[in-house]
Amino acid sequence: MRDEATTSGMTRRGLLRMIGMTAGSAAMYQAMTSLGLAAETTFNGMPDLGTAPKGASVLILGAGIAGMVAALELRKAGYAVQVLEYNARAGGRNWTLRGGDSYTEMGGETQTCGFDPGLYINPGPWRLPYHHRGILGYCKQLGVALEPFIQINYNAFMHSHRAFGGKPQRYRTVRADYHGHVGELLAKATSTGKLDVEVSKEDQQKLLASLQWWGALDKNYKYTKGMDSGDRRGYDRDPGGGLKARPEFSTPTGLSDLLDSGLWQALPLNELYDMQQTLMQPVGGMGKIGEAFARELGSLIRYQAKVVDIHQDDSGVRVSYEDTAKPGSRHEARADWCVCTIPLSILGEIPINVGQPMTDAIAAVPYAASVKLGLQFKRRFWEEDEQIFGGISYTDLPISTISYPSSGFHGSGKGVLLGGYVWGTDAMRFTAMTPAQRVAAAVAQGSQIHPQYPTEFENGVSVAWHRAPFTLGCFGLWTDATREQHYDNLCKFDGRIVLAGEHASYLPAWQEGAVTSALDAIDRLHQRAVEKGATA
Amino acid sequence: MKMTAFGACMSIVLFCMASSTWAANDGAKETAVEAANGVLGTRDGEQIYSQICQGCHMPGGRGAIGAGYYPAFAKNPRLASANYMAATILNGRRNMPSFVHRQHDEFFFPATWLNDTQIANVINYIRSHFGNHFSDAISAAEVAALHAKEPSK
Repeated sequence: MRDEATTSGMTRRGLLRMIGMTAGSAAMYQAMTSLGLAAETTFNGMPDLGTAPKGASVLILGAGIAGMVAALELRKAGYAVQVLEYNARAGGRNWTLRGGDSYTEMGGETQTCGFDPGLYINPGPWRLPYHHRGILGYCKQLGVALEPFIQINYNAFMHSHRAFGGKPQRYRTVRADYHGHVGELLAKATSTGKLDVEVSKEDQQKLLASLQWWGALDKNYKYTKGMDSGDRRGYDRDPGGGLKARPEFSTPTGLSDLLDSGLWQALPLNELYDMQQTLMQPVGGMGKIGEAFARELGSLIRYQAKVVDIHQDDSGVRVSYEDTAKPGSRHEARADWCVCTIPLSILGEIPINVGQPMTDAIAAVPYAASVKLGLQFKRRFWEEDEQIFGGISYTDLPISTISYPSSGFHGSGKGVLLGGYVWGTDAMRFTAMTPAQRVAAAVAQGSQIHPQYPTEFENGVSVAWHRAPFTLGCFGLWTDATREQHYDNLCKFDGRIVLAGEHASYLPAWQEGAVTSALDAIDRLHQRAVEKGATA
Repeated sequence: MKMTAFGACMSIVLFCMASSTWAANDGAKETAVEAANGVLGTRDGEQIYSQICQGCHMPGGRGAIGAGYYPAFAKNPRLASANYMAATILNGRRNMPSFVHRQHDEFFFPATWLNDTQIANVINYIRSHFGNHFSDAISAAEVAALHAKEPSK
């Protein structure tokens, strides 16, 4: 680890301890900063735009996270703000389905969620990394209570239908065995002189010591059945008390079987920056964030407003929309400026008079296919039978993911799992199914990991994002090539119109992308408005 | 670049665990069957339509309307040009992805692609169903000829 690296013969941490003991905490903090260990945050809390030009107005299209962040901040600065939203609720992809909610997808199929009170599924975003300070800042400001989201559970399963006879393996054992075998191999290479060119003799001793600890190797630097490996991968019989106290060690999986299984592919998932603990979730569902924004904005949001035309000229922006409660009706909204957060999947189909660069950018981004399923079971069998409290199991079956609730442990009532989070071709196949077929497929596949499924399953819901009438897709799929060619053109102002949303960010599909793109867009809007305000 | 998802946020997450790909990634070798039948494992036009296309364009090719729309295929005069359809499938069009075969996965899930035979077959299926009665069929060779002309995005 970097902070244990030596600085002139002493570890950094040791140096800091010494400074802290002898010179007090302020000196220690200064030292930490100079060593790069305690950088000041670059997120300055909630933005402060300043004061809007008198009478300036902004029309915001879309009451998702980006649109509502923009609305909140622009209103605070004194702009006259209106928001048009297609749905009858705010939040967009920030959304929680609870018992009694009904959802009609494109094509007309309506599902009514049959979950018990308090149980829910987040069809869209479901976790908040600790470093997504924008969205977390709004949670704090709006009083949205947070709780831990359990991303990593060493007792959850890794499953390949092609490996170990289809028997799910515990994350704990796969990880321990992978580290153990790699550690043993590297130790062998070191002690047989294979690394003499790359690693000094002195460092080889340190490397060996680290491999022994990291890989849980025995005194001979072997990864074997026994106390060392048992302490990582667990036991056939756990240590206990009394006469039956003695543990029975478990047998590591062989390297070849492990490599062959492919299960190692899922090991680094929790190491990714966006997936590292601590992650959080709003208590009661991700939708609590959108609901809190909507409460705050109140009547600023006009619901059930389907945008059909966006037109700008020298005097302002004029948007035509249909009240979907009265099909065929036409209304108009006008403002000096427009922040458009409509997903590109939809915006590309709406007449809008922006220049060719932005037009091309809007047309350049297809949306990812993805399907999520929520399944209700009669009891929390994953806790009762399998000691899985929160976290995620991974499988090579199309459902790919089973996620266990991060709260309500030991609850005696029913429970809801994320029973599938489907991507790619599998997601297209799932999208093409009826909602009932999707749920049946998820139950059948999940039964391979949890044989309790068929007897414990009660009901389920699915959201296939390409059939979501308000997004027509999951998130914008940029490639390196399309970003190079179109990203800046998408984000630049075109006259009086600026776009925002996860599609206008380098954080695709993350709410933080929506927040930061909105903040960047309104900052530029305000600068323009102030400049224009002097001459208008 | 590898994308993060909805955290999967959607999330992503999810990374990768997209499906049947663990094993496929192991060797990264395309089998003869895959080359012939693509990731779907079928060359049948109706099968391709019902597993892929109808997710958006709906059963019966009836399309759908929400805040945006998916074009209907039923009795659609635009289908007069099979080449136009092939170019759309190869290159994508706005929200519709390109189904051309790529050498590298660009995302955290493997790309969905169709070979020229599959593209021809699904076009011919659509143009002869859903109330469409175009009698001229497009061939895999004609689809192949469109690859070079149309830059993929």
